[in-house]
Amino acid sequence: MKNKIFPALLFALLSVSAFAQDFTFPDLEGFKKSTKYPVYLPENLWDFINGAADTYLALGFVDLHVAEYKKGKEIIKLEIYRHSDHTMAFGIYASERSPSYRFLNLGSQGYIVDGSINFFTGNYYIKIRTYSSKPKTLKSEESLASRVAGMLTGETQMPALLSQFPDEGKKVNEETYINESVLGHQFLNKAFKAIYENGSESFSIFLMSLKSSEEALNTVKTYLASAKIEISQSDNGRYVFTDGYNGTIFLSWKEEKIVIISGLAKDQADLADRYTSDILK
Amino acid sequence: MKSISRRGFLRTGIAGAGMIVASPAIVKAATSFQENNIIYRTLGKTGIKVPVISFGVMRSDNSSLCKAAYDKGIRLFDTANGYQGGNNELMLGNFFKDYQRDSFFIATKVKPGTGNDGKPTDQTSPEKFLETFNTSLSRLKMDYVDILYIHDISNPELLEYKPLVNAVKKLKKDGKIKYMGFSTHKNEPVVISAAADMDTWDVILTTYNYKLAYLNEINAAIKKAGSAGIGIVAMKTLAGGGWLDRERTKPMNTTAALKWVLSNPDVATVIPGMTSFDQLELNAQLLADITLNEKEKSDLLADNSVPGLFCSGCRECIPLCPNNLPIPELMRAYMYAYGYSMPSMARNLLGDLGTSADPCSNCNECTVKCTRDFSVKEKIADISRLVNVPSDFLA
Repeated sequence: MKNKIFPALLFALLSVSAFAQDFTFPDLEGFKKSTKYPVYLPENLWDFINGAADTYLALGFVDLHVAEYKKGKEIIKLEIYRHSDHTMAFGIYASERSPSYRFLNLGSQGYIVDGSINFFTGNYYIKIRTYSSKPKTLKSEESLASRVAGMLTGETQMPALLSQFPDEGKKVNEETYINESVLGHQFLNKAFKAIYENGSESFSIFLMSLKSSEEALNTVKTYLASAKIEISQSDNGRYVFTDGYNGTIFLSWKEEKIVIISGLAKDQADLADRYTSDILK
Repeated sequence: MKSISRRGFLRTGIAGAGMIVASPAIVKAATSFQENNIIYRTLGKTGIKVPVISFGVMRSDNSSLCKAAYDKGIRLFDTANGYQGGNNELMLGNFFKDYQRDSFFIATKVKPGTGNDGKPTDQTSPEKFLETFNTSLSRLKMDYVDILYIHDISNPELLEYKPLVNAVKKLKKDGKIKYMGFSTHKNEPVVISAAADMDTWDVILTTYNYKLAYLNEINAAIKKAGSAGIGIVAMKTLAGGGWLDRERTKPMNTTAALKWVLSNPDVATVIPGMTSFDQLELNAQLLADITLNEKEKSDLLADNSVPGLFCSGCRECIPLCPNNLPIPELMRAYMYAYGYSMPSMARNLLGDLGTSADPCSNCNECTVKCTRDFSVKEKIADISRLVNVPSDFLA
């Protein structure tokens, strides 16, 4: 067994790209840094964040590094969640943000709320919090956030697919990423979601970019089959049907992209068409 | 806490379940009743009659799923202040605002500040706790919640921390909560047993599944709490999200796993996390039938014979190694290399730990007994060889 594993491991090492992702927690002037926490992995993330862990695990959680900064009774806690890629980091960040927060130009995006600064950058989701209301401590917290943002490598833009959502009527900072079971269906995965307002109505647009047009078509066929609709082979198409659980669905696809609109009535096909055309142009 | 091996589980766990279900009539009469094809159990002295399947909402952001669950007859919906940064409570609040308030039960949780040992500290502020609870109530758009859990109690000292307990009692007196409880997923037998000796707690939400290494202890604690009239709700019932492996190639028999939990008559209901209609449909079948059949029993036995691949971080191995190897960290390196295909991360960690290429060379026989029954020495040997791989290969 030993003779088989080592060459296999060596082969794996040569065939994967390098991840030089280790880091040292930054110092914070006036604060004593403590790194007494273990590194949390999927198997024991529950020990740190309880049931909230399930959402992180569903979004490619890799590990969590925690540090505490203390100055007398003032405590600032730093949590760096590493996820499998930038989209997953966005996913977990977006799942916890609210449009009512004060947003910051930090990493790819961040916000401050109630003594917490959360942001994402690269494959990381960072949460910094303090229960202190002292201005000096809050200033130190902001300084720490900047240092951490500067220290971590990786993509600092928002995920590219988000830019394909039309701006008209879109509710800002409410986009999310759903890795599994989009609209509660196990055959629909990896979609960005944006919420729109049209007058007093609200609807959602889901955008998926699959690996190939073939995969997109198979996904579309599965979804339509669940509504007892069969289609012939085609690289693109548009359908409106009733999803037994989610009501009226406008489903469109072109090559590897799928657009699903939920929340509009069947007689709002023009509206659905307009948004769909804008995305799948 | 004494751990028992998998073989020990097989004797006590499945056999225990078998002994329980051998007398289903007795179990049913004592704890359950069926109405309109749904099995209900009474949640301890609260008197609440809950369907045996409830909804752990924590990952769901789909109100259509909540509607489908409600339409199936599920009535208890479990959330927490900290789930999805508050968006989980918001979603539930928006969904239930059009429903008659007494037609469902809401349980939420608020986590107090504690030390790393779970004990109260000067961060355990009842004022902060109440402020956080009021935020939850506002998000839920409700005047009260049915159950408020103090989130994550792992040390019985927190159960007796009067400032916090009295704050929760006042919420009950003021009608903002109907029942008070706590959730626990560490040191559960000790915490549950301590709670059973007090006259404070109405409900306990605890980890409980067929894979636990300390089934004897937790069963005894649950029985004691049940006898004291505390309602028991079970969570983490699928011990890993429904899969036996990280790659998700080996599905667990989740129906069997849930039935096993419910074969304990002191467990009133379970709160599996659900994100798809398929999961809901499958779990909803248990609303009418919770009897383990022979195939389900043998599936559980087979599942439990699959050794773990990755370390759980329990740290029980640390005092067992005569060379004081940093075993949990070495297992983390193993995870990076084999689980995540991140060999340079593994190598960096080994470098930080100062690991040699053969750290177990001083020992002929390994004295480390892993609670997951895997060969620690073998895994250390596999991963420590990485230190011999030139770093250029990882560039």
